Amino acid sequence: MVLRQWMVTHEWMVEPTPQTEWIMRRGILVWIAEVFTSLGAGLYLISLFYNNLWGMAAAWLIIMFLKVPLHLIYFGRPLRFWRTLIPITDSWKTSWFTRGINFTVYFGSIVFIQILVTYFFPGTGWDIALRVLGGVFAFLVGIYSGFITSYCKSIPFWNTALIPLILLFAGVTDGFALMLAVGMADASVGIMAVEFGSRILLTVNIILMAVFLWNATYTSRTAKYSAMLLLKGSLASLFWVGVIAVGLIIPLAISVSSIFADEASAPLLISAIVLHTIGAVTLKYVLLKSGVHNPILPAITSAYH
Amino acid sequence: MRWGMVIDLSKCMRCHGCVAACRVEHFLPLGVTWPRLIAWEEIAGEETTYPVRCNQCKEAPCVKVCPTGATQQREDGIVWVDQDKCIGCRYCIIACPYQNRTFLSKDKDTGYFPGYELTDFEKAGKRLYPHTTGTTEKCNFCMERIDAGLAKGLKPGVDREATPACVNTCPSRALTFGDLDDPDSEVRQLIRDFKGFQLHPEYDTDPSIYYIDKGWRGV
Repeated sequence: MVLRQWMVTHEWMVEPTPQTEWIMRRGILVWIAEVFTSLGAGLYLISLFYNNLWGMAAAWLIIMFLKVPLHLIYFGRPLRFWRTLIPITDSWKTSWFTRGINFTVYFGSIVFIQILVTYFFPGTGWDIALRVLGGVFAFLVGIYSGFITSYCKSIPFWNTALIPLILLFAGVTDGFALMLAVGMADASVGIMAVEFGSRILLTVNIILMAVFLWNATYTSRTAKYSAMLLLKGSLASLFWVGVIAVGLIIPLAISVSSIFADEASAPLLISAIVLHTIGAVTLKYVLLKSGVHNPILPAITSAYH
Repeated sequence: MRWGMVIDLSKCMRCHGCVAACRVEHFLPLGVTWPRLIAWEEIAGEETTYPVRCNQCKEAPCVKVCPTGATQQREDGIVWVDQDKCIGCRYCIIACPYQNRTFLSKDKDTGYFPGYELTDFEKAGKRLYPHTTGTTEKCNFCMERIDAGLAKGLKPGVDREATPACVNTCPSRALTFGDLDDPDSEVRQLIRDFKGFQLHPEYDTDPSIYYIDKGWRGV
């Protein structure tokens, strides 16, 4: 009996094991950094679409002064960060992590120059070229986290091509929400146009989330286990209230209500922005938290069944 | 040449000798254990044990995801971590399907007797086999022993001096080490004769650790 008690030390490894490195303790930094990744990349893309310099500047600040420092602080050896840069490493050939870091560096450099050029020399050839490049790297910054997670066969819930799309579209939707905030201070932003885009993206997000979860229920037993954590398990309240209701349904309802009015009122807009941002924060949390490793052994406990 | 290990589940007697031998060989900090034993309660109620360690996968996900190239694979198949290059992003820990990597945080390296002076063993470890906090660690098949042994003309898996410490220590000879590419090696014969299997072959990682169960085959 004594031996038996001693031997159960690692029993957690024969059950589906939640990943903890990117969500628990210091891993919280990864979660918050990913929130800022979505917000920053999404806002830049939307600002580019609506030609709003202040939105671009805000996006650049979010990425460079919120996302990047949080990621660096998370690293065990942040001062070795330079080892991830091309051409110092050739790991970009296989590692989405290296690619992502380099995308972020290129985004930071190019968009900084682009903002200056757009401010001082708007409409020039350089301005247009830099905007195109900035857009490409914002797209890559917004999607690379999805590829980082989808690469992990060890976590079946993440190991799907839908994850990059979910994170990218969630980011663009975050961008629409932040653009509404910019629009409240900048009269040149057409609130109705942003509301229109927001409606479409919120609907796409809801559909993508449904397909993602549905797909997970038959991909593998562990993926289903993760999906059930969201739908019925310990993360259900956060998922249904935070992600679905607060983050998607209510902002969509507010956005739809603006169809019947000339323009949504300021309190409603502020509510939509705040609620969607809470949803964005919650989405990253539940996605990271529901990442569950397959058991090492083919053994499974009754709880898993 | 590709080094591999065969673990006979019917012979493992849960003594944790491999765990202890590894700790001594590599001066592991208190919170880090490279090889581990997993207790698994079978459906029928009978308990069995799986000794696990880094599977030294031929197609190692940890090598592919490492952003700096700190996790590397040698020509003989051994996957190891260059702790001078590791930035501590922990992507390898997430990507390892076998959960056999450990991040050495400061709270895992508090000393064997926290609050007291380091033991002579720990002091020797700091000098002979330093571990870098803020980086990731894992089993490396005692590659230092293998390299030193090969340099002396010894044969890993046969000569103790060139064989991983856990294999040498196992009192029931549950662990066998050798060259998987050699069809006449003992490991290959065991895999062939007793239908050796790998953990999670569906990941296409081709682990270098095989399990056999002579008892199950009635041998």
